[in-house]
Amino acid sequence: MLDARRTRPVLIALLVVAVALVTIDFRDGGTSGAHSIGGRLFGPVEHLGGDVTGWFRGGGSSAEVARLQQQNDALQLELGQAKITAQQAAELRSLHTLAGQEHYAIVAATVIAAGGDYSDTVTISAGSSDGITANETVLNGDGLVGTVVATSPTTATVQLATDANATVGIRMAGDGQIGALSGTANDFSGTAPLKLTLFNANAALKPGQELVTFGSVGGRPYVPGIPIGTISTVTTQPGSLTPTALVKPFADFTGLGVLGVVVSK
Amino acid sequence: MSRAVILGRPVSGQFDSDPSPWRKALVVAALPVALFVAVAVQLTVVNRLPLPGGIAPDLVLLLVAAVAVCTGPMTGLLTGFAGGLALDVAPPATHYAGEYALVFCLVGYFAARLAAASAATTGERNPWVELGVVAAAVAAGEAGKAGLGLLLSDPDVTGPAIRHVLPGAVAWDLLLTPFAYLLVSWAAGLARPAAERPPRPEFVGAQRIAAVFRAASAGAAPNLRLAGTGAKFQTDRPARRVPRLRLADARSKSLARTVPAASGTAPPALAGGRTARLNFGRSASALRSSGAGVTSLGRTPKLNFSGKSPAITPHRTEHGPGKGWIHTRDRSGITPPRSQRGPGKGWIRAGRSAASGGSVGRAAGSGGITVAGRRPPKAGWLRTDAHRPPPVANRARPGKGWLRKSKRPRANWYSSGPSTRWVRRSRSKDRWRSRRRSLSGAVLSGVRDLLPSGDRR
Repeated sequence: MLDARRTRPVLIALLVVAVALVTIDFRDGGTSGAHSIGGRLFGPVEHLGGDVTGWFRGGGSSAEVARLQQQNDALQLELGQAKITAQQAAELRSLHTLAGQEHYAIVAATVIAAGGDYSDTVTISAGSSDGITANETVLNGDGLVGTVVATSPTTATVQLATDANATVGIRMAGDGQIGALSGTANDFSGTAPLKLTLFNANAALKPGQELVTFGSVGGRPYVPGIPIGTISTVTTQPGSLTPTALVKPFADFTGLGVLGVVVSK
Repeated sequence: MSRAVILGRPVSGQFDSDPSPWRKALVVAALPVALFVAVAVQLTVVNRLPLPGGIAPDLVLLLVAAVAVCTGPMTGLLTGFAGGLALDVAPPATHYAGEYALVFCLVGYFAARLAAASAATTGERNPWVELGVVAAAVAAGEAGKAGLGLLLSDPDVTGPAIRHVLPGAVAWDLLLTPFAYLLVSWAAGLARPAAERPPRPEFVGAQRIAAVFRAASAGAAPNLRLAGTGAKFQTDRPARRVPRLRLADARSKSLARTVPAASGTAPPALAGGRTARLNFGRSASALRSSGAGVTSLGRTPKLNFSGKSPAITPHRTEHGPGKGWIHTRDRSGITPPRSQRGPGKGWIRAGRSAASGGSVGRAAGSGGITVAGRRPPKAGWLRTDAHRPPPVANRARPGKGWLRKSKRPRANWYSSGPSTRWVRRSRSKDRWRSRRRSLSGAVLSGVRDLLPSGDRR
């Protein structure tokens, strides 16, 4: 072609650059500087887009603020209840050195952008300037949503619990059995996109049982006691070592609006 | 025509007069803005739409493919790289930075190369081909995203996830492809020089007919226009409609309409209908040449039909839009000497009677006898004749060729002489050769691009 002689070196150069970027990011585990640059560059734009879509969804910024405040209160209340719940809290205190002395605060933010087809991630409208750091728990009024995986000054990227990368330690609400809950991303398109695996081979799973987060050391990436969902289908295979089930989350992951990020004071 | 025009792509600076510079600059500046907006809309709106299965179209990929096809390889690959990198690093993305940049860069480059190869092959930009290239590029881009994620063992991109996402994503993209292509090609057309905008009169594909008419009306071949196309212009009737006026249908209808009403006799239904077919042509010409008395003598037996209803025939010839074929042939000047040559089926066997060189009177007489004594041939030959009268030059040949329309080169019927056909055939041969070279060359050279330069050539 006419400009082939000029085009090919450019093509090769750009391909090399792209491969180099992939390599660097692969080495850094997906947290290379390119992402932070992109966050700084596109954060304001996504704020703008989030405001516009939020105006359409919420019907105005003042209503949005009011709703956000109310949500914030509800979240704090729920979090407090979850922490105080009777013997759950006592067991947790005994299991961890969380004691009661650690205090949490909730930073409220709205979802302003969402990831592509393969990843279950969203961007929220608060970032490191609001005190959010990576590996902090994100929830809404219904229950657990996910955890923060990356921040920029004005935005934070939340990995939803349904993402294939996500694994949450859980505790059964009734008998206190512990297990792991992993996202299945797009393997299942239905309403049960979480897969539960209990560690105790003798534990029995029944549909309708509730799950709460088990908690992690220092509350990262998940603080304890946050409701997650209920078991919808028990999928234990005969002969398998561990009981498995599909879990229907409390939170509606397709219609996320206002989220709260649990930041440690 | 310079080579650049034939390639459908201007040498830079060749036509730089038409769009004003600021409009060009505006369109060029609109590209990054459009890319930025596409990324923002993709992330903040499209990905959040509650679409079934959580699958959304990829606006950036659509834009990249459409821009690449509408502009060129360089713009395509730069747009692809920029758009892909933006999707890689914009906040919610958790895949490795550079993945989409790699895929979109390749998509933009190869889409543009494919479109350019197609344009160079056919000599013009065919919107349907370009649309197809955009669709293929978009589908390839979606597959490339999935494939690269799989290659890098991204936990999100697993086999089941791809099986779930990929068909839906491709379907969404294909649904939006025409809109993206129309939008981008419109925008690109604003900056394109006017000399490049109209399709070139190359005889390819659907442009062939248009090119014929254009060449005829431009006065490139005035006599041909008279023979072939001019008549259709005059009757203001598309060529496709002429066969409908062939005698077989019109005759039987008129026969059924007029004969029973006038005479009430049953027999004309079959035999009368058949003979009347030939007779009618003759009677029409006879009426036209106003030698009704003399000519009707020769075919008295067949003229029973017209004799029964004498008032109808002139009326019919007068207004008859259905008999357009008669007027067409008459005005077209293909057989001007028919009236002297004989009333008969001159229009049927014009070439033969002319070649025989017999006297006018004898030809008329023998013609009448032949037609009367012979079974009329099948209906098809009439249609062929009415639809496309044989070229003047070819009529001297008595062969079967002019009756048959499928074996003929299409551009032949309006042109006379073998030389034009010969030239055209040689050009088409060139076209095929260049297509073979350019299509395979686009792919091969694209593959060569990926190799280190030492392996090239």
